[in-house]
Amino acid sequence: MIKVKNLGKIYKAGAHPVVALADVDLTVKPGEFVSVMGPSGSGKSTLMNLLGCLDILTSGSYLLDGMEVSGMSETELAQVRKLKIGFVFQAFNLLPRMSAIRNVELPMIYAGVAPRERARRAAEALEKVGLAQRMSHRPGELSGGQIQRVSIARALVNNPAVILADEPTGNLDTRSGEEIMAIFQELNRGGATIVLVTHEREIALHTSRIVHFRDGRLVEDEPVAAPLDAREHISAAVPVGQAGSNIESGGEFGR
Amino acid sequence: MNLLESVRVALEGIMTSKLRSFLTTLGIVIGIAAVIAVVAIGQGGRAVLMAEMEKIGTNIFAIYVDWRSDKKVTGREFNLSDVAVIKDKVPDITHLSPVNNSLCDVRGPKDQKTGRVIGVSSDYFYIRKFNMKEGHFFTEEDDAGKRRVAVLDEELAGQVFGRAEALGSIITLNSTPFLVVGILAKSESALGFSENPGVYVPIQAWQVMFNSQVQELEGSAASKEKVDEAMGQAVKVLERRHQTPGKYAGMSMEQEMQAANKITGIMTLIIGAIAGISLFVGGIGVMNIMLVSVTERTREIGIRMALGARRRDILVQFLIESIMLCLLGGIIGMALGAGGAYLIAKLAKWPPLVSWWTALLAFAFSAAIGVVFGLLPANKAARLNPIEALRRE
Repeated sequence: MIKVKNLGKIYKAGAHPVVALADVDLTVKPGEFVSVMGPSGSGKSTLMNLLGCLDILTSGSYLLDGMEVSGMSETELAQVRKLKIGFVFQAFNLLPRMSAIRNVELPMIYAGVAPRERARRAAEALEKVGLAQRMSHRPGELSGGQIQRVSIARALVNNPAVILADEPTGNLDTRSGEEIMAIFQELNRGGATIVLVTHEREIALHTSRIVHFRDGRLVEDEPVAAPLDAREHISAAVPVGQAGSNIESGGEFGR
Repeated sequence: MNLLESVRVALEGIMTSKLRSFLTTLGIVIGIAAVIAVVAIGQGGRAVLMAEMEKIGTNIFAIYVDWRSDKKVTGREFNLSDVAVIKDKVPDITHLSPVNNSLCDVRGPKDQKTGRVIGVSSDYFYIRKFNMKEGHFFTEEDDAGKRRVAVLDEELAGQVFGRAEALGSIITLNSTPFLVVGILAKSESALGFSENPGVYVPIQAWQVMFNSQVQELEGSAASKEKVDEAMGQAVKVLERRHQTPGKYAGMSMEQEMQAANKITGIMTLIIGAIAGISLFVGGIGVMNIMLVSVTERTREIGIRMALGARRRDILVQFLIESIMLCLLGGIIGMALGAGGAYLIAKLAKWPPLVSWWTALLAFAFSAAIGVVFGLLPANKAARLNPIEALRRE
């Protein structure tokens, strides 16, 4: 799904150019759930910006879903973002004055989906993340975990090739974080390709593979033999029939 | 993203902060209201003025000594036989009367007033289309006989006679007694003024009193279309008879209306232009607040870009938002301006005139302001870097 070769990114900040990423080779297969770890300044965020087509790579090549992204114009990159990529951010990044369902509809507006179809698909996505009862609520009226679930619904509503999650549990308490990981795992079981940035090993262990970054280089590619199942954590910590229930009732995710 | 969708997104942006949107567009509201009201009042006033002048008669004219000419005024420019000769030589002139004017003491049984004494011939009644309240206008025989008869207007009659019966009574003009044979009905004027109170006497009696030659002529032509030509012919006759080319000038009601039309038009334009400046200032206000709004919504712009919005989509969104704001202000301003014009028209008893083209122009103008003053903020929004925009608090 993602095939990165010799990826490099140099920022020209003043007189001395800063090498943010160098010689990164990374392949993510369809249906894989990969986490990216590393201390701050290791190039995680730069990688996510490049994979998310928000930034232009300085060198190397980037094949996304069979398409060469390097050398694309800004307009073409916007096109790739809207059709191939779903973002989940640490800071949620919902539009605060819009209801949950309008937020989820937003990517489809830019993709040119007809209003009726949009509303139907947004409602479906919100149902999948267990927020069928909260569709008309604004972000301010939702808890952190619920807000992040709205943004996951927004990320998957255009059926992207890959979901990029940048520290999606960073602003959440442990239990909400587990709920979010449970949703990601469910999506992944449904076939979704997910790349997740985190600095918590506990979170990374929910994925099937961890790539470690340090000083702008990929230093270790660690397979996870037996990923943790977030559902177990939730059912262990919470009385039966609460937080986990809406996720289990969600059914199959993705494509 | 299609246009309809952009409009919807822009509307959402406007509706999410109603107070700010309203304050943003307030300048446009006031500007458009001012322009609409000024133009409407100007047009209403012009219409009233034209109606007044039309009521007096579109086929009438006056001939007088041209005050612009350098020829010496002798006081013998007109004489009574001129009137007969002109009427004879210019068949399109239906009525022609000398008009002499002077102020004098008008004394009745109740009171004494200073009034205008106007010496005219019996034709004057037909030129001005007078309405008699009582009695009749004096006749050709009255004039030829230099009879001291007078026709009073209703207002002056009331002043000098009070409740006493005026018709058939005697008034004195500068101590010369005159018999009142008619009272003119008061003419309603929408402009709120009427001519000075006056008394009409036969021209020859007037000349006996004031010992003066004819001052000017007034006449009516067969139709509005023929008035200018007939007047020109009359001036030529006078010039031939008195051998003084360039000494006489004529002014028809038609010309006077055109002049008045031009003057009111220019005034409306000037005041409208001043009001237009406030519209321009309003546009700058929209631009300023939109610029602030773009800074405030940097993160929103970053989010939209991450979700696939192209720079063009962002540009169009903010541009349409600016246009919609201005149009909204334009519509509110139009309502206020029309309301204000209606109110003023009602108070001044004018017809309220908000023409469709002013409304259309205001509409187009506010949209244009939206485009012009929205370009800078929209461009600023579209040029944001999505990564930096997403990082902004």
